[in-house]
Amino acid sequence: MLEFIRFELNYRFNRPATYIYLILMILMGFLAGGTDIVRAGGSGGKVMENAPIVITQLLVAMMIFGTFIASAVMGVPVLRDFEHKTDSMIFTTPVSKLEYLSGKFIGSFITLLIITSGLVVGIMVGQAIPWPWMDNADRLMPFDIISYLNPYLVFVLPNLFFFSAIFFLGGSLGKRMVVVYAQGIILFMGYLVAETFLSQLDNQGTAAILDPFGFGALQVTTQYWTVAEQNSLLMPFSGYILTNRLIWLTVGIACLVFLYIRFDFNLAGNASSKTKKKGKKMAREIKEEVLNPVVNQLFGPSAQITQLRSLSFFYFKWIIKQLPFIFIALAGVAFVFIISFAGGEGSYGIELYMTSSRVTQFIGIFNLFFIIIIVFYTGEIVWKERDVKMNLIYDALPYPNYISMASKFLGMILMSISLMILLMFCGILIQLISGYADIDWNLYFTELFVDTLGTMILYLMLGLFIQAVVNHKFIGFGLMFVFYISMAVMRELGIEHTMFYFGRTGLGGYSEMNDFGHYFQPFSWLNIYWFGFAVILYAIAILFTVRGIDSSFFIRLRLGKQRINGQLVMVVVLALIVFMGSGGFIYYNTNVLNEYQNSDDSNADRANYERSLKQYETLTQPKVIGTKLDVDIYPKDRDFKASGYFLLKNKSNDTIPAIHIQKAVDDQVLTKIAFDQGVSEDTSNSEFKYVIYTLDEPMLPGDTIQMNIDITFTTTGFKESGSNTDVIYNGTFFNNSAYFPSIGYNEGFELSSDDDRKEQDLEPKERMMETDDPRGIAQSLFGDDADKITFEIVISTDSSQIAIAPGYLQKKWNEGERVYYHYKMDTPMVNFYSMISADYTVIKDTWQPPVDSLPEVALEIYYNKGHEYNTDKMMRGMKEALTYYTENFSPYQFRQLRIMEFPRYRSFAQSFANTVPFSEGIGFIQNIKTDDVDLPFYVTAHEVAHQWWGHQVTEAGVKGNAMLSETLSQYSALMVMKQNFPPEIIKEFLRYELNTYLTGRTFEQKKEMPLYQVEGQGYIHYRKGSLVMYALQDYISEDSVNAALKRFNQDWAFKEAPYPTSKDLIKYYREVTPDSLQYIITDMFETITLFENKTTEAEYEKISDSEYVVDLTVNTIKYQADSLGNEEEQVLKDWIDIGIFTEDSKGKDSLIYLKKHKISQEENSYTLTIGAKPTKAGIDPINKLIDRNPKDNVKTVEEKEEEKPES
Amino acid sequence: MNLTIQNLSKTYPNGVQALKNVTLDIPVGMFGLLGPNGAGKSSLMRTIATLQEPDSGSIQLGDLNVLTEKTEVRKVLGYLPQEFGVYPKVSAIDLLDHIAVLKGITNGKERKALVKSLLQKTNLWQHRKNSVGGYSGGMKQRFGIAQALISNPKLIIVDEPTAGLDPAERNRFLNLLSEIGENTVVILSTHIVDDVKELCTKMAIINQGEVLLTGNPLESISSIEGKIWSKTIEKEELQEYQDKFNVISERLIAGKPEIHVYSDSKPDDSFAPKQADLEDVYFSKIKESTQIAEAV
Repeated sequence: MLEFIRFELNYRFNRPATYIYLILMILMGFLAGGTDIVRAGGSGGKVMENAPIVITQLLVAMMIFGTFIASAVMGVPVLRDFEHKTDSMIFTTPVSKLEYLSGKFIGSFITLLIITSGLVVGIMVGQAIPWPWMDNADRLMPFDIISYLNPYLVFVLPNLFFFSAIFFLGGSLGKRMVVVYAQGIILFMGYLVAETFLSQLDNQGTAAILDPFGFGALQVTTQYWTVAEQNSLLMPFSGYILTNRLIWLTVGIACLVFLYIRFDFNLAGNASSKTKKKGKKMAREIKEEVLNPVVNQLFGPSAQITQLRSLSFFYFKWIIKQLPFIFIALAGVAFVFIISFAGGEGSYGIELYMTSSRVTQFIGIFNLFFIIIIVFYTGEIVWKERDVKMNLIYDALPYPNYISMASKFLGMILMSISLMILLMFCGILIQLISGYADIDWNLYFTELFVDTLGTMILYLMLGLFIQAVVNHKFIGFGLMFVFYISMAVMRELGIEHTMFYFGRTGLGGYSEMNDFGHYFQPFSWLNIYWFGFAVILYAIAILFTVRGIDSSFFIRLRLGKQRINGQLVMVVVLALIVFMGSGGFIYYNTNVLNEYQNSDDSNADRANYERSLKQYETLTQPKVIGTKLDVDIYPKDRDFKASGYFLLKNKSNDTIPAIHIQKAVDDQVLTKIAFDQGVSEDTSNSEFKYVIYTLDEPMLPGDTIQMNIDITFTTTGFKESGSNTDVIYNGTFFNNSAYFPSIGYNEGFELSSDDDRKEQDLEPKERMMETDDPRGIAQSLFGDDADKITFEIVISTDSSQIAIAPGYLQKKWNEGERVYYHYKMDTPMVNFYSMISADYTVIKDTWQPPVDSLPEVALEIYYNKGHEYNTDKMMRGMKEALTYYTENFSPYQFRQLRIMEFPRYRSFAQSFANTVPFSEGIGFIQNIKTDDVDLPFYVTAHEVAHQWWGHQVTEAGVKGNAMLSETLSQYSALMVMKQNFPPEIIKEFLRYELNTYLTGRTFEQKKEMPLYQVEGQGYIHYRKGSLVMYALQDYISEDSVNAALKRFNQDWAFKEAPYPTSKDLIKYYREVTPDSLQYIITDMFETITLFENKTTEAEYEKISDSEYVVDLTVNTIKYQADSLGNEEEQVLKDWIDIGIFTEDSKGKDSLIYLKKHKISQEENSYTLTIGAKPTKAGIDPINKLIDRNPKDNVKTVEEKEEEKPES
Repeated sequence: MNLTIQNLSKTYPNGVQALKNVTLDIPVGMFGLLGPNGAGKSSLMRTIATLQEPDSGSIQLGDLNVLTEKTEVRKVLGYLPQEFGVYPKVSAIDLLDHIAVLKGITNGKERKALVKSLLQKTNLWQHRKNSVGGYSGGMKQRFGIAQALISNPKLIIVDEPTAGLDPAERNRFLNLLSEIGENTVVILSTHIVDDVKELCTKMAIINQGEVLLTGNPLESISSIEGKIWSKTIEKEELQEYQDKFNVISERLIAGKPEIHVYSDSKPDDSFAPKQADLEDVYFSKIKESTQIAEAV
């Protein structure tokens, strides 16, 4: 056996492939460690790059690539003996099967371990080098070998063993490399499927076990780790990780045992394949005299077309009969099905309707398989004749040089097209199975036969070029890989322009409202551009492709010259014209008509803005008190014009000598400003579009001035990236803040991420002002430009569309092809207004307030025809919400409420005064079933709540502000939902909120804040907000919370500066909270408090049919976490639910006992008597508290065993 | 239409000189190119078949310059390489049909008839539905000649076609070759002397890239008539005889070596005169060239 190991090792280390793999591994590790090119895991922000978890994620992710090497190393050792026909020599020597197999396996496995350890070495070295562009102190902790060994032992080693066993089995028993490749693809599928399941809370456990790479187990285990834990904890060899590893190790061992039993060490197995056909060979051969028929040899164009067609179909048939091809294609199709049905869930586990646009997205996943097929089969097809040794016959045939390459190309294209037809068929099938028969043929056609096919053609030509020129199949594959890497390197070097990225033609987002919108034009030009380039490559491929046996570069160059002919020259010249011409046109559009900036330049601009103008931040400026506008939207041109005035008032006690105006920085906007008084203009900061108007006569306190504005937004040509999705063909939606001038320095332009700031030599900055910052309290969350304004607008659009802005419609009229709407708001509103134009269908309804003295409210939903699925839910949401808020907080301040759909380029809903734009992507196409969280209803209720929390009570723009608007809207909507849906739905909703909060913490880039200090962190003000507010109303009652909010509303609604902060709101909470529970306000709002509740024992004893005694032992630990997640245990003095479930008449668990108990020590035991047979019991059974292991709170109650007297 | 090769030379990147100034004039008819393995036959054949570039020299087929007018040459060329494989799982009739298309037989009817006649001629008709990959060596070679014969080529090159065939198959194959039209230049390269003897009217012997002899087989034989002597000796004596005499070949007969010696006069009494044949011509030329090479 040792001899076999030695032989195997010798053989391996005499082969260049081994070193290539090793170098590749070291290189990948090096790039991952030293640059941002290869990136995995959650590093960034405060998680260090050599934290154990980051290294683990890096290694596990790279093991997906490692599978490829494992298959190459482990699949061949036995296979090789068969292929080189040395099997008969070895099998006749006196070696035992065990010695032979284990020798081969161990030898190869050691090789594989050495190769993969290169990865670890690469990462270590990459990280250790003090790169000039990286600050090691910021991204690295002190080196610790354990951080590398731990993931290698827990993940890499078991993975390698399992892969090795599988591939060794496949190669040895299958005796064909195809079997090994197939195994590789199955493993990869396992990983992809597991990834799909991971996103669903209910299936995470399955995913953790299913994923052969261990990624799922890793993710589930570490998903709630805080930054501090991520930086310190090693991967535990327990729980899901242990189970997963054990299962796959066992499968690996089983594979080896199976191999040992089934492996045929005699030659019979080998010979059998050859004996098959011998019987037929000796058929009689009768010689017949035949005359040679007269035939014509034709070589003209029509003959070439025949040849091309014949050869193309020949190659096409060849590919589609290939096992690996069939296998990859089937795997891809299977995956499309799996992802469509298993992965189709959106937020809160809700399914979306299976529209054609969704299905085409799922089909897009097949592109990965497409690329694999293209890369692999361009290699195979270029080498096909040589692989079967038929090249000499072929090469001497009298067909023109181009025919060979062209037919290979066309054969592949035929294959791609037939796959696309198959995919289209699958997509339609998926839609029909899902009961959604509205098939958008045009969309299928565009996605598949325009977008995907276009990309495939480009990659195909590139692949053929590389294979033909390099003339070495595997180096060719390698170069394709290098090609991908090089794109990442280019990005790292700051080359960002699309014109440098081959084949990147992306069609952009699809919206049912706006179709492919304006994306189609740049997409088409980029395709033409790259097609021109690819044809040049392709022509070079024709010139240098090997025909005959000469493969040396110089001879091919000589032959290439011979092959140049008029047609080829013409093709190249044409392609060059197309390439240069379309390139020029694209450049003209992206860099001349529009401004192009890569991200470094734009960061530098922002840093300069801050350096030059920060001095003006605290300058006293007038505020807008009134706005009157004429806005004309031209959807077909994607332009708009706005003119009118802002009325500015000096609300301060100081004299204002100059007005600072920040014009819109968007290069598509041209802003003109004039005042109704004499000013002199200082344009020295015009590079920042920042203009200082010195007033001839300074503004005294109380003075007003009218600022006339004239804005044109013009779309010319197309942009390199980030094209405007606000002003579009159908579904225009923009607000004032991005396009209209604002007053004074805009802090929003400053770079926010610490990393970006550091690159620009700026100090890190706080995300928001402190809660008691006087400047902060003096301005609302909508900025310091205004408090409340009067608002009037005439908005016009194309007559096929409807234009909407806040306010009440005064008048509507037509002028030619245009339609005009005059809106006016009759009460002051915040300085934040939307302008919308689209082709809408409208539903109207009214809401009668519960109090007779209040006016009727007109309800309207403007939606895209075909998206009526959930409009009734939204309508109901508006009504229920208006009723609840009016009854519990205050009357609704407007007489109308409107929802309008906008395209899915952005997915949110937003509340403007009496106006709620709502994204196509989040509420309109969800398929809500009876046991789902009714998200359209909920989101509507949330946005309606903002009419109170945001529009009635506008909070200060300081830390913790979102606790007043977002958290309160979460609470309000949750209460409306509680009133309208069964408790299970609320529980389901909160379960997702908890998960999102806990996951959100792990991705924190800077610092986690307590709720009352939240700095725009959605996972806190939305998710934790829901949880905390739900618990609060559970502890102190819904009525008390509402009473506090009502008072808060009364005191702060419709007020100008000073604005309320979270500290103010907390006072109202404390007022309605009994002394014994004051601590929960601290825990929930003022600190980051987490619980670790767990039930350790649960037993019951049956006294009679209506009397059961339950013994419970529960554990409680309470932690307070700092901003990085370092936890400190707290003294317990808490009231926590103890609950017992029983089975109700429907067979579901229902609570028979639920009561808060005072907990003041870690372990507590309870003996409780209930009236029915208990099923489960435990502490905090419905997860009101924030707990990182919510599942262990309850336990199944077991019947107590009879105690037998001891003898 | 003659094939004229002039001063053709080729050195491989590894330093092996495959062709040294080869000059040959090959007329219409069957031309045998005789030489041991590695003599440069295949290099020469591939160069004529437009598949390899020489370093220098020229090849002319009638009016065509073979080295530059490759496409034109390929139109009148039939080539059977020394070793070839086929696509697995493609039947003979489909493969032949496919190759015929690439040879420019684009009329479907004509092609069908042609394929049929070729398969019948090569006795493969009853196996036409079988995959060529499953054919025996002889059948495969016959298939090879069938594809080479598509469209009545003016120049046919068959490279070592009989190597590895059993005697019956070899005969069958040579019969096939002998039926090729008389207006065609046929070059048959082989290391088997009998192939040339049985088929060719003209021949050349080539070794280490050099042409040693060109001419008519019968004339070549008569040129050494009376100069070949044979003797049966013991194994131990072989070395001694090789040192002493110009031994051109030895073979075992019933376990004992029989040597052939080339000499103008009888070497000594123990030798018997032998009727010279083509094999003796071949071996004497090879021997001569090897000696010259060693002397240099």
